[in-house]
Amino acid sequence: MSEMSISVSAPTVHPGSQPLPEAPAKVTARNLNFYYGEHHALKNINLALGTNRVTAFIGPSGCGKSTLLRIFNRMYDLYPGQRATGQLLLDHTNILDPKLDLNLLRARVGMVFQKPTPFPMTIYENIAFGIRLYEKISKSEMDDRVEKALRGGALWNEVKDKLNASGLSLSGGQQQRLCIARTVAVRPEVILFDEPCSALDPISTAKVEELIQELSENYTIAIVTHNMQQAARVSDKTAFMYLGELIEFDDTSKIFTSPSDRRTQDYITGRFG
Amino acid sequence: MAVQSDVIDDAGPYDRAKALGAFKLGDVTFYWITRLSAISVLLILGGIIISLIVGAFPAIKEYGLSFLWTQRWAPSADPPVLGALGPMYGTLVTSFIAMLIAIPVGLGIAIFLTELCPQWLRRPIGMAIELLAGIPSIIYGMWGFFVLGPFLANTFQPFMIKIFDGVPVLGAIFAGPPSYLSLFNAALILAIMVLPFITSISVDVFKTVPPVLKEAAYGVGCTTWEVVRSVVIPYTRVGIIGGVMLALGRALGETMAVTFIIGNSFRISSSIFAPGTTISAAIASEFAESDGLHQSGLILLGLLLFVLTFFVLAAARLMLMRLETKAGK
Repeated sequence: MSEMSISVSAPTVHPGSQPLPEAPAKVTARNLNFYYGEHHALKNINLALGTNRVTAFIGPSGCGKSTLLRIFNRMYDLYPGQRATGQLLLDHTNILDPKLDLNLLRARVGMVFQKPTPFPMTIYENIAFGIRLYEKISKSEMDDRVEKALRGGALWNEVKDKLNASGLSLSGGQQQRLCIARTVAVRPEVILFDEPCSALDPISTAKVEELIQELSENYTIAIVTHNMQQAARVSDKTAFMYLGELIEFDDTSKIFTSPSDRRTQDYITGRFG
Repeated sequence: MAVQSDVIDDAGPYDRAKALGAFKLGDVTFYWITRLSAISVLLILGGIIISLIVGAFPAIKEYGLSFLWTQRWAPSADPPVLGALGPMYGTLVTSFIAMLIAIPVGLGIAIFLTELCPQWLRRPIGMAIELLAGIPSIIYGMWGFFVLGPFLANTFQPFMIKIFDGVPVLGAIFAGPPSYLSLFNAALILAIMVLPFITSISVDVFKTVPPVLKEAAYGVGCTTWEVVRSVVIPYTRVGIIGGVMLALGRALGETMAVTFIIGNSFRISSSIFAPGTTISAAIASEFAESDGLHQSGLILLGLLLFVLTFFVLAAARLMLMRLETKAGK
């Protein structure tokens, strides 16, 4: 616990308290709709994720937050009967283009899931696996990349002596940071977090939140969370969604202090949801 | 109701202890019933081994260890000469070739069914596999004898013999003349027979892979092949090996179909297109007309099959443990 000790007692000041200047859009959604078969799950979503900003998505269960996230890397494509219409751009690439190379898209848009999902292999291999998909590099270069990624995931000091242990032997919080390191190792441009802390204890949560803040210097981040304090702590902008619609999208400080929609107000004060 | 609850209240702790006592009796009975069921497995297994040893004793006394490396099988000679080398060789070779064919094909079918197959095709293929498992082995034997054997002898075997003619080692393995009855034909039938085991168990264990784990692998940009190879198969390794072992156990012991098409020759030939025999085929084809030392020798063969299966399963366990250490568990 040397260089990455995190003081839990002094929580990081949320960046939203001093709104950052408006960033150029990395991901842009225009009139985005999504259907699970007949069910119209997302209705006319318009928003933009700012480059190197953290955007939080909040809202009651079933409001479509995770669904929206899974469109950004076309994860829904794995399942028949799910389809999206409208426009969704990553820089100038149309994400919804059926001819798009999904493997390349997912290299650019990484994802961290609700539950830690280490692959059934060693810690080292968990990281090297993703890198090897795209690059042919020597063993020593690979060692460097793995170390860098594990440092990026704030995990290096805890695992450097047991890189050949199974990824499944780590604790839940460590596994989640391993998954973040694995995502970072592929050098994506956007990282999607789908409730990354919901299965973690408070200390691990604090570490992951700190990590998200650090990552936002280099990556565009979207995070779905049920924890409103978390959204307030880590994000620059917050989107409130309800019943498949985007109700309000604004600076985090504004959403949590003076929301303009009545439903946002009700949700953040705990009156429903 | 009110009256009754009063009664219970009055009776209080005493009744409760009595009720619990009845439960305890049930627990003890249940414990012993399940325990006896488990013990009966050991008793039956032990009984079979003992009766095999008793039956095989005259042959053990007569031939000793030389039974294992004698190739000659002449029960009508005086005194009879019996050796197990031919059947043991045939058993191992046919099972090996069968697994060589059935494992990749079986896993391939399972991967296709779980990861790639369009929804409407899943049920027909799945049902076909189940039906394959339901065909009695005598049918496989007849089909192998009347259809597959002639077909292979006229097409596949001459083709392979011609290709590998003159090549060292392979030339000897694929040597002529083509035959309706051969080790290879038996192995191919065995492969078809054990295929459903490998496929259906693999399909079941592939379904246990959490979707989110697969999504995570797709999420770093894996293709379907990479997800299957690096995530699905390692995650389900133990289950797959279990299915393969079950299939291997069946292949080693399969009798009827093999007896039909293997040719029942005790001579060992380097060619897999030559007739041979397996332990179970030898027992099935000779037991009815045997007596004395000959019969005892056949029982000894059965005992050998028992031991052989045991060692194969033990080796598989060992392999599994090695794999787990390698994966860093």
